[in-house]
Amino acid sequence: MAEPRDVFIVCNNTDTMGGLQRWAHHMARLLSARGHSVTLVGVHHAPEPHDYGPDDAYRVVTLYEEWKSPVLKWRPRTMTARLDLAARRRDHRRTREMRKGADRLTALFAAARPGAVVIAAQIWAMEWVALADTTGLKVIGMSHESYGATRRSSRYGRVREHFAGVDRMLALTPEDADAWARDGMTNADHMPNPLHVSPGRFPTLGERVVVCVGRLSYEKGLDMMLEAWADVAPRHPGWRLRLYGGGPQEDELRERAERAGIAGSVEFRGVTADVEAALAGASIFALPSRDEGLPLSVLESMAYGLPSVAFDCAPGVRELITDGADGTLVPPGDTAAFAAALGRLMDDPAARRTMGARARESVLRFHPDLVLDRWERLFALLHRDPGAIPVQIGRRAQVDGEFPAPLPEGAATGPPARNEEILGVDS
Amino acid sequence: MPVRPDVSVVVIGYNDAARLPRAVGSVLDQSLGGVEAVVVDDASTDGTGELADALAAQHPHRVRSVRLPANSGGCGVPRNVGVEHARGRYVMFLDSDDSLDRHACLNLLAAGEESGADLVSGLCTRILLDPRRDRPSKERAWYPWLYARRAVYSGLEDNPNLLYDTLSTNKAYRREFLEDHGLRFVERLHYEDLLFSAEAYLAAERTALIPHRVYNWYVEPKAATAPSISNRRAELANFADRLEIHRRIDALFRLRGAYELKRAKDAKFVNHDLLLYLRDLRDRDTVYRAGFLELAAAYLAELEPRVFAEANPVPAIAAFLVRERDLNGALAAAEYGRGKRLELRTELREHDGRIFWGTRRADSALARRVLDVTGLGLHQRPLREMSLANTITELRLRGGRAGLEGLVLNPLERVPARAELAATLELNDRRRPTRVRRVPATVTHEGGRIRWRADFDPRERLRPYGLADPVWDVRLRLEVDGEEIVTRPGEGTGGGAAFDGVVLPVRPRLTRLAADGARSYVTDSGHLAFKLEGGGRLTRATMAAAQWAARTGAGRRAWAGVRRTERSVRRTLTSRKTKIAVFNRVLSRLPVRHGSAVFESHLGKQYSDNPKYIYRELRRSGPPVKAIWSYESSARGFPKDATLVRRGSWGYFLALARAEFWIDNQGFPDGIRKRPETTYLQTWHGSALKTMGFDQPALKSGTRGQRQRLRRMVDRYDCFLVRSDHDLDTLVPGLGVRSELLPAGYPRNDPLVSGGRGDPELAAELAALRERLDLTGDPRRVVLYAPTFRSGPDGRPVRALEPPVDPARFARELGDDLLLLVRPHYLCTVQLPPGVRGTMRNVGNVPDVTLLLLLADGLVTDHSSIMFDYALLDRPMVFHLPDEVELGRGYFDLAEHAPGPITRTEDELLAELSVLAAGGDPGAGRRHAFAGRFGEHDRGDAARTVVDRVFRGARTARRTSRETSRKRSPRGRAS
Repeated sequence: MAEPRDVFIVCNNTDTMGGLQRWAHHMARLLSARGHSVTLVGVHHAPEPHDYGPDDAYRVVTLYEEWKSPVLKWRPRTMTARLDLAARRRDHRRTREMRKGADRLTALFAAARPGAVVIAAQIWAMEWVALADTTGLKVIGMSHESYGATRRSSRYGRVREHFAGVDRMLALTPEDADAWARDGMTNADHMPNPLHVSPGRFPTLGERVVVCVGRLSYEKGLDMMLEAWADVAPRHPGWRLRLYGGGPQEDELRERAERAGIAGSVEFRGVTADVEAALAGASIFALPSRDEGLPLSVLESMAYGLPSVAFDCAPGVRELITDGADGTLVPPGDTAAFAAALGRLMDDPAARRTMGARARESVLRFHPDLVLDRWERLFALLHRDPGAIPVQIGRRAQVDGEFPAPLPEGAATGPPARNEEILGVDS
Repeated sequence: MPVRPDVSVVVIGYNDAARLPRAVGSVLDQSLGGVEAVVVDDASTDGTGELADALAAQHPHRVRSVRLPANSGGCGVPRNVGVEHARGRYVMFLDSDDSLDRHACLNLLAAGEESGADLVSGLCTRILLDPRRDRPSKERAWYPWLYARRAVYSGLEDNPNLLYDTLSTNKAYRREFLEDHGLRFVERLHYEDLLFSAEAYLAAERTALIPHRVYNWYVEPKAATAPSISNRRAELANFADRLEIHRRIDALFRLRGAYELKRAKDAKFVNHDLLLYLRDLRDRDTVYRAGFLELAAAYLAELEPRVFAEANPVPAIAAFLVRERDLNGALAAAEYGRGKRLELRTELREHDGRIFWGTRRADSALARRVLDVTGLGLHQRPLREMSLANTITELRLRGGRAGLEGLVLNPLERVPARAELAATLELNDRRRPTRVRRVPATVTHEGGRIRWRADFDPRERLRPYGLADPVWDVRLRLEVDGEEIVTRPGEGTGGGAAFDGVVLPVRPRLTRLAADGARSYVTDSGHLAFKLEGGGRLTRATMAAAQWAARTGAGRRAWAGVRRTERSVRRTLTSRKTKIAVFNRVLSRLPVRHGSAVFESHLGKQYSDNPKYIYRELRRSGPPVKAIWSYESSARGFPKDATLVRRGSWGYFLALARAEFWIDNQGFPDGIRKRPETTYLQTWHGSALKTMGFDQPALKSGTRGQRQRLRRMVDRYDCFLVRSDHDLDTLVPGLGVRSELLPAGYPRNDPLVSGGRGDPELAAELAALRERLDLTGDPRRVVLYAPTFRSGPDGRPVRALEPPVDPARFARELGDDLLLLVRPHYLCTVQLPPGVRGTMRNVGNVPDVTLLLLLADGLVTDHSSIMFDYALLDRPMVFHLPDEVELGRGYFDLAEHAPGPITRTEDELLAELSVLAAGGDPGAGRRHAFAGRFGEHDRGDAARTVVDRVFRGARTARRTSRETSRKRSPRGRAS
């Protein structure tokens, strides 16, 4: 057992219904079980909190009841925008508000034992960590999506800005970490999501059901799923497509299914809490996403021994599914090939069984014990030599050996820690 | 607490007290805790050693200082001494003028521990410091392709390309690994890195690579003055050292029996080491050159001749010519491709139907193989894409006028003697690419050379501002039959006159205090340029004062600010984004010019396809229309009676904004909003086989933004041309066309239906083409090979097209009866050796494919939509699909519907072609079935129908378009 540490996991919020929050609570539980003292920090509360059943093993802290200021820092692009006094005032208020939250973080961090670690799980939450005083702690930034997804979004600039200075920036897969490294982030490394389910029962693989689990939104590509289904379903009577999850595209998708004449074989099951029932009742798992990080849904389905068909849309998907062994990878957007891959598995129960068995075996790479070992190795690596204090030696250095006095790292950033009461501890 | 550190960094320095703190600081600042620096001072005389001692005293557990008693003259001894003192589990090397990335040690250590490698290597970045501190330094990664992703190799054989990275510094070595194999640097030779890294790669059981930058290599700007004589002698000794190192590496490989690796290393020597030295050679005197040639030729003679085949083609030529002691030829080869500039500085020779480098006779089999440059395609590349050497033969000042004279190389007489020639000399402010002064030049054709001469008064012509525009480059623009070649006068092929040090009088706008002369000099790449200078005392004083002011802190900042602003203003003014914004807000509010139409074919690449035939019909019979044609890069081949605008220019956007009609076959720039008064006829460029628009996988899996972009572009159409019901089922829904559909057939196919009869203009064009292709009086049947492009593994089109059959075999078996015209897709090129001209001709530069179809007695193609057009002629077609796996993808099952036989191999194709040669008609039945199914609307009157509908009915069309666009606008914004 590695030495016990204080670990802070900082997220945008800890109580929204979502993959990241599930990951955060799971990680907190796993780390606590190994004797670490974990604090889960959310910047604000969710409007509709989801109960992750926090136990006494770790504490949950929320910085604000509600975040009322603008979400992002004000960055005027044009001269006229710069004259916008209202925006300037709002931004000023935002900075002031942020400072309050950062001060609370500073107080939390100051109370930590030596060897503590801060994990900023999201880039927005990182803005508070960056503002807080992290002297003596190591800061780890995380990107829970593929490099490509970040690159295409407005988050890219913020990731470059706020994660450049952290001690380690973790992507989900080696391929994503390499992409960040090529892009100049020399602190890039990778850390997979730990497997978070332990199946109680397994599918028979005899049910004529294809299952899809995920939000009904554009990125999840269910429109492409329905297109492929319209192609394959008529040739496979009796097979059903079950979609679990809700989202903005639901009405549009229902209409699309209706138009394609497949409404009879497509079931919209809505959001479910019982993933086991959903997966154990199916024979094939389909992932038609346009973009993914390291999809938890595939981890789950593999743990349940389902063969998968997925678009090869991101490194995380390639990392999980080995094409031809435990699933099929299809070129992104090629719905005909997606339908053909589904058809092959529908026709061949034996192939489903071999692939499913391989999936169950392969997913053990992400067993919590292995992933946690990796985390602890990383903590140890970052805290290799706690006594050393880095020294800045600049150009001003003189030949006669006069150097500026050593400065503790981060002394210039953040305010002096205030010894205030830690308020608002949820649990 | 002296615990064993994880990593020891051996920092070596000699007389570098100024930069040592940066290097040591980068070690102390490592994000990994347990790192120590071992500073080895090579007996410096500037206090570096004392500084190292001071550092060690300040950081007792982290810095140690070792001072050598006497200078070793190299890097080998201090590094070896450093290794002896290193206590870490891993050892790294750092030079005092460089630095480590903050996370270097952590990344290398983590990769080493995870992979168990003996040797872990990361990316090195060269930081080229700008001599003027007001400009940012440039960064260049060192062999980034080696470091694209993390990898673990179990030996050099796994990836011989590792030999390209010969640095010892961007790596961490396991200490025990160094000891077990006795790895140390060779002493008393330069380039000890090369041997050390080769030995280490060979010895390592596992080598790990990471894409993270670990090492910053600071490169000081090149000294302005030429090296002294003693330096030159030392440099020659350096080169001898380098060869000695290579000989030792060769011996090492031989000892191990690693002949494959030896050859990989030899190829690297030719591709990299030799090329670097050759390119530096231009500045050297004849004594140095002779000494260099002797050394290099002797070493190259020791290498296996196979190396010339395995190295890259052009460097191989350079090496071969060095071996043959032809230094001028070698220099020309070394310059070709330098910095992506493909300036041809040598003659070419055609022999036996192949093209050879230089004029020397290729007298051995090896020479023939190495010097054969047919594959570069220099004999058929469009002239405007050629960069030809321009040798200055005279630069003088007489009576206040500058006289400049030179010779442009004309290899293979690519510029024919009867061509119409014109030339302009351009003087160009280097900092402001658009600021150009033009001087007329006279030009005469002299066979293998083209002589030009310009004579001008520099005081009148060259009006610099002074101070802000110190450097002026010189270009000669040569116009050959309307096609432009840009050349840069300079050393050219050698043997010209010296042209540096001539001072032209100038009159700067900031008065003569800012400068009074422009002195000519030779640039790094061997070209002529002028630098402003002050001759008179007063001018010298003001220029010195201005330069001093620009160097002070405030001056530097102010100057940098001015230049930044200037650059950004210029960029903003010329950017496409600005033009589009101005288009939408200003230009499209100008009054419409009634009766003006903008034509564009394939984004301006050609004068061809449906827009061309609509334009011709308009001119012949339609209402008077002011036609504007857009061209992409060269106006050559576009109609002379139309107004021509360059695609993307201000004129282009203005024409589009005010036009009453838009006619094109692919797409006008995204983002510009079509005004309701404009009628947009989208003719498209062929029926679809591959999936189009929203049906393409790339778009299906793409972002919403990409789909919205296509939706915006398609919703601009007012009228969409349809040539068959197949289009209605595929193209129209695929693109999501919601405009009026015009089922008229394709205007470009009218001549195919009529066979070209009754159209004297077309007949004349055909006759001219026949003449140009040498077909007049040729009794053989003509077959056109016109495949579409193939997508490579990266999804992008494969540029190079191969002939479908081996040209020699084709000539032998069918050459008496058939002539093959090869037409690559407009995204591709094909290289045919000149020797096959008798039986195979490249027709890639004929813009209008309709004419070629009319000429051809048969067609060989593949998934190309050209089959729909050619089917109208009812002539034989063969489908050659050598490497296709699946035929049924897309809208169309070729196996089922192909209007002709399908061939998979060269033999099958030749068999079908021989049927054709004998006058047979393979696949007539399939063709008729196909025509019945797919050729529905082409009746030979498409152009007239379109003109009647769009131009004659313009008023009604406009009204409807305005109504529909108003109706559509809210929907248009949604996806």
